[in-house]
Amino acid sequence: MNSLNGNMQSMEMSAYHSAQRAGNLHKLAAVARIKWLCISRNAMIMIGPVLVIGMVYVCKILYGINSGGTLVPFMRGVLLNIGITMNICAEGFIMVGTSIAEEKESHTLRVLMTSSITGIQYFIGSILFPFMMLMAVNYFVLFISGIPMDIVPWGSFFFVSMVVSLTSCVLGMIVGICAKNQMNANLISYPFLMVFMMVPVFGNMSEGLHRISGFLFTGVMTGMTECLAGGEKYVMSSLDIAVLFGELLISILVFLVLYKRNGYEKD
Amino acid sequence: MEQNVLLSLSHISKRFKTEQALKDINMTLHQGEILGFLGPSGAGKTTTIKIITGQLRQTSGEARLLGTDSSNIDASIYEKIGVVSDNSGIYKKMTVWQNLYVFAGIWQVSRERVEQVLAQVGLAEHRKKPAGKLSKGQTQRLVLARAVLHKPRVLFLDEPTSGLDPSTAVAIHRMLLELKEEGMAIFLTTHNMEEAAKLCDKVALLHDGEIVEFGSPQEICLKHNRNKKYSVLLEGHRELELDQNPENVRKIAGWMERDEIMRIHSCEPTLETVFLEVTGKELNV
Repeated sequence: MNSLNGNMQSMEMSAYHSAQRAGNLHKLAAVARIKWLCISRNAMIMIGPVLVIGMVYVCKILYGINSGGTLVPFMRGVLLNIGITMNICAEGFIMVGTSIAEEKESHTLRVLMTSSITGIQYFIGSILFPFMMLMAVNYFVLFISGIPMDIVPWGSFFFVSMVVSLTSCVLGMIVGICAKNQMNANLISYPFLMVFMMVPVFGNMSEGLHRISGFLFTGVMTGMTECLAGGEKYVMSSLDIAVLFGELLISILVFLVLYKRNGYEKD
Repeated sequence: MEQNVLLSLSHISKRFKTEQALKDINMTLHQGEILGFLGPSGAGKTTTIKIITGQLRQTSGEARLLGTDSSNIDASIYEKIGVVSDNSGIYKKMTVWQNLYVFAGIWQVSRERVEQVLAQVGLAEHRKKPAGKLSKGQTQRLVLARAVLHKPRVLFLDEPTSGLDPSTAVAIHRMLLELKEEGMAIFLTTHNMEEAAKLCDKVALLHDGEIVEFGSPQEICLKHNRNKKYSVLLEGHRELELDQNPENVRKIAGWMERDEIMRIHSCEPTLETVFLEVTGKELNV
């Protein structure tokens, strides 16, 4: 009898946990849907990916015309670097940060937080669509840059692209948590852009910047694309892995510290 | 614990650095009851709602919402309550329907319920309109629709009709009374004493973070009706205000006998005059 009761109890508990998990997924999906609807209707945000893809494509055509139809590896590398770093930084920080700031501005963030959405559900729901967008644009830029596809280490590219996009989204969350409005979010993004976008992009023009770039998560990505552009085989070093995971971890920690202090919005 | 008590505040105090925002607040809210929290801006009304709903921690005292100590509540409590603050936002780029449908996803509410609530607030014909194009009154009705979408047990309304035109305010009042009939408990903050007198079963007059009077609007008004007076309009449009005394009673009886009275009513104080008497300050400030 006791064991029967015990079994019943454990079945009830397991049913309760399953229902709770399903409820959590519903909420996560609802936040992601809200974010998708907000971001896809915000022209200021959505112009970014189009701009990145358009810029890489137009530059490829124009430089191609000037250099007799084909791009030199150096130019392919420059185009790929600019496209991918612009996508990761400008899009990641701005798309995530601005969308949170927009919610603060329109007082919908508090509404969401008083509708049974937890902090973690809001976090994941907020970065889901931007993360997929960043990944998609990274691949798109890779395809149109003119790099021979047979030399691309697809596994490494996916892995690095994923970690880098994720870090960028977390930094975007930090921007969003600190920003009061959309204008403010853009302003807060600039120092991040200066460091994480400019240093790797100009890294191949200065030895000092190149060295610093190796310690940035975006620098690891551009290191890979430079290898691809030059037709070299890319081998991920332990420093690359340490930089990727280290900076992802640091950004998550910074986010958590800020979140613990005031939540998403200071009262 | 008393049956059907959904909310109880016991000796709640809140201090912000040097400012004492709330002092020893005590009250209870039952199922199917509307409780009005009246006071001027800065009296502590919004602070009280934030403490009850777990958005702010009290300095001392205990607030219990649906049996749970408010300092221990988590996000799941919001599945059972609805909150409308004075600046509850809407997603302006989404349509009216989408504004409700995304929240239906959070609370796992059916499409039929969304339709029902849209019709209830009179926005069914505006379903495809971007929410940013709604008028202020329509926006407030959308906010209210969203707050009751999941049929909460307790609804918190912070100045729900502030700045609205009279016809929209009346429509919202009607809706609140319907919700009350359905058994929802409503915690309403307002500085509109007419609204409170019309809707509330009980009101608390709040002044400088302290409840200075508590009870039904009628009880409070009668309690402060110390100098009974009558306003009389006689034929020839002669209007008089008479104290209750034997001589005036005889006068009134005589006018009544001669059918000279066009209108007569008692002059008990309103909630506003009670507030003025108790605090020495106007309510609508």
